[in-house]
Amino acid sequence: MSVDITKMRNIGISAHIDSGKTTLTERILFYCQKIHAIHEVRGKDGVGATMDSMELEKERGITIASAATNVTWKEHAINIIDTPGHVDFTIEVERALRVLDGAVLVLCSVGGVQSQSITVDRQLKRYGVPRIAFVNKSDRTGANPYKVCDQLREKLDLNSVMMQVPIGLEEKLEGVIDLIRMKAIYFDGNDGEQIRIEEIPAELQAEADERREMMLDTVSMFSEEIMELMMEEQEIPEDLLHETVRKAVISLELVPVYLGSAYKNKGVQEMMDAVLRYLPAPPDVENKALDLDNNEEEVVLPSDETKPPVALAFKLEDGQYGQLTYIRVYQGIIKKGAELINVRNGRKFKVGRLVRMHSNNMEDITEAPAGDIVALFGIDCASGDTFCDSNLNLSMTSMFVPNAVISLSIKPVDKSASDKMAKALNRFTKEDPTFRTHVDPESNETIISGMGELHLEVYIERMKREYKAEVETGAPQVAYREAISASADFNYTHKKQTGGSGQYGRVAGSMEPLPLDDEKGYEFVNMIKGGAIPTEYIPSCDKGFQTGMEKGSLIGAPVVGVKMTINDGQFHAVDSSDQAFQTAALGAFREAYKKANPCILEPIMKVTVEGPTEFQGNIFGTLNQRRGMIIASNEEGNYCSVEAEVPLSEMFGYSTVLRSSTQGKAEFTMEFAKYGKVPSSVTEELIKKYEEERKAQQK
Amino acid sequence: MVKTELTEKSPLRSLEKAVQGGLGKGNIAVIASKEGVGKTACLVHIATDKLMRNKHVIHVSYANRVDHIVNWYEDIFTEISKKRNLENAMSVHDDIIQNRVIMNFNQKSISVDQVIASIKAMMDNGQLGTDAVIIDGFDFTIGSAEDIKKFKAFAVESDIELWFSDSYPEGADYLDDRGIPVNLIKDLDDLSVVLTLRAEQGLMVLKLVKDHKALVSEDLHLKLDPKTLLIAEA
Repeated sequence: MSVDITKMRNIGISAHIDSGKTTLTERILFYCQKIHAIHEVRGKDGVGATMDSMELEKERGITIASAATNVTWKEHAINIIDTPGHVDFTIEVERALRVLDGAVLVLCSVGGVQSQSITVDRQLKRYGVPRIAFVNKSDRTGANPYKVCDQLREKLDLNSVMMQVPIGLEEKLEGVIDLIRMKAIYFDGNDGEQIRIEEIPAELQAEADERREMMLDTVSMFSEEIMELMMEEQEIPEDLLHETVRKAVISLELVPVYLGSAYKNKGVQEMMDAVLRYLPAPPDVENKALDLDNNEEEVVLPSDETKPPVALAFKLEDGQYGQLTYIRVYQGIIKKGAELINVRNGRKFKVGRLVRMHSNNMEDITEAPAGDIVALFGIDCASGDTFCDSNLNLSMTSMFVPNAVISLSIKPVDKSASDKMAKALNRFTKEDPTFRTHVDPESNETIISGMGELHLEVYIERMKREYKAEVETGAPQVAYREAISASADFNYTHKKQTGGSGQYGRVAGSMEPLPLDDEKGYEFVNMIKGGAIPTEYIPSCDKGFQTGMEKGSLIGAPVVGVKMTINDGQFHAVDSSDQAFQTAALGAFREAYKKANPCILEPIMKVTVEGPTEFQGNIFGTLNQRRGMIIASNEEGNYCSVEAEVPLSEMFGYSTVLRSSTQGKAEFTMEFAKYGKVPSSVTEELIKKYEEERKAQQK
Repeated sequence: MVKTELTEKSPLRSLEKAVQGGLGKGNIAVIASKEGVGKTACLVHIATDKLMRNKHVIHVSYANRVDHIVNWYEDIFTEISKKRNLENAMSVHDDIIQNRVIMNFNQKSISVDQVIASIKAMMDNGQLGTDAVIIDGFDFTIGSAEDIKKFKAFAVESDIELWFSDSYPEGADYLDDRGIPVNLIKDLDDLSVVLTLRAEQGLMVLKLVKDHKALVSEDLHLKLDPKTLLIAEA
């Protein structure tokens, strides 16, 4: 089977939670005849929307995993990547964005551009994903697509333009007017599957004319031909308009806005047509890889089928038949039976089963060309791995992985749970690089860490449901760090020469703070001249310092942002050893650390609270009580959104407090912003607590 | 130069001297000029000067994106600290921005009562101990004399300084024969200090029009540096 890749679209559906994204996806599948009945997200029929494949997602009404599904619409193949909407899962979103060529930004017609739409849009911008917008829920009370279009312009800085005019709004929504064809479009039948095209109703003619004028004004900025035709007041051919909009969308200069209501089966097909018309096919997009043989130089990957294959594994799933790996092919053709190499570990493997996915059903295929998104069976790999022809050594850009900010201990309830837990953890860490696990050497507890409370909760739930591993969890702990705020010198001698083989080593030099945003977090500089410390023991010093970095002396948190320079020392011909210099370096580190004004750093979250203006004071108050720094507040009509930076440690249980002080009318989102210094009063508390814990452990 | 020394040498001190020791709490000041001359820069400089003296400031704007305003502050702060060689610039910066809150109102038609209620909510719950409120982009052609009286009452009641800007379109003749900006004539009783900013031989010159009790017409020896947009001695 050959696939024409110019007739292929890889799209994502990005949205604020609850703007009806899953319902929209469900309708798309229905109209493409992939499914034969429509189910609601929180459906009464107990089946649930098809894209939410995990049980947990069905229960919570949210989409966590980005399953890919393939549909056919008007002879075009569309791969839809369903992306999660919650900030706690942004790594999943970002990984999905990586493989997209275009996106549909879904917005709620009442809520408009909400804080999460801003996050999602920022991610789309980072990966340069062209997009069209769909204003959903236009049947709701208070719906106003024009306002949403203006917000796209004001809040997201997008050159948005309405391509349609609604026929009736709120519960009277009947259809839409297409401003290019200047026709009214109605959606008949039980599920809106029959499209009826009519003349524009007389009472809407004036509005439609005015909106078309505005649309033409915006679009003509991208085409001199259109501008000239407008000046001469001539007819503008539809094809010319389509072509111009397409170019502007692909170059990220224009965002056409469509409207409708997925729930009421209105407007979805028109939006699908826009996907085909305006969003790019794989060859329209330039993708880049890093050449590992050439100092990570960027190489452009043409979607050329004759070149050797390159593909990226962007999503793993545990199926009934073992691990399923979703891949996007960037170059060449991936064929069944072909031999590929996993660039990360250099392991060769053979492509076994190759399938095209439709949520939970699959279709076996023999090959997948550049641009396609398919799944492989039984490949042992991690998410984010690159697969290549064995003669190539290319890696798709390493994705930015943020540090974990929160952790908690988990304990299996019995022996059998312990094995299952290990299996689950192994899987989750492969799937999600922001989810980490380690065993604390002191307490012997298993610690999991991630990007937020909800992030960890979801994995604990999945452990229970998918792996039947019952675990007890400890209280969430904030990932503190320690750092120094001044420079200090050290000169430390480690000496133990009382009988038997002795130990001797002296190291001297200086400790300096690195900027907090320095990525390495640690730097070792050797300035030893004349062999005061023999070369063979230099790495021992480095190692000793790094041991010191693992645990600061204030609260035992990892130390970051330190530059260690050694410039002098002394050794003993017999008693010096690797071990002796490591111990000396560790001692030197601790000596200097005390003098270097150590401080504690804590994760600071960017918190956005949205709610009715009447509760503004309460919102300010709740943030202020939490050591929050209010940066800005934005008021619009009766709604306000407040932006603040608040330490993560103060945010536990915030949702309950916010709900009770705003009658449940405000909501908030948060994401990691930076590490910041803990104020001195809190520092003292933390140190006291740490010392008490240590004493308790020693008993 | 350390922070206190920097603020003592600030050209804004000579502005204060000119208006009998400063605006003072419970009073309103307005800077009027044509569009794009540098009112926002002036206001941000005045606000930054207050922040540097450990005072708390609320910056109110209309339909400006918050990140644009933040950028104004960043730019002005960078210019000041560079020019005066501020010590520990980063940590001073981190300290003072804690005392600044930006409030943005996305529509021009919002009522003065609502604006005052929101600022009060912020002062009571978020930014305790506010010393000054900057209101940039308020439309004096829409705002009635009644509205300005409400602002005046608010300034007195809350014991704060209020700084406004008043903008005119390019090319408009906006001064009456006494040199008073036309939008402000009706509000003159409630305004303690009125300044105008005008271009003169490539420089932006600050002129004092009303000084507490008296109407004056005095060129201050202050100008806006066209490159950094900082207020500087002429």
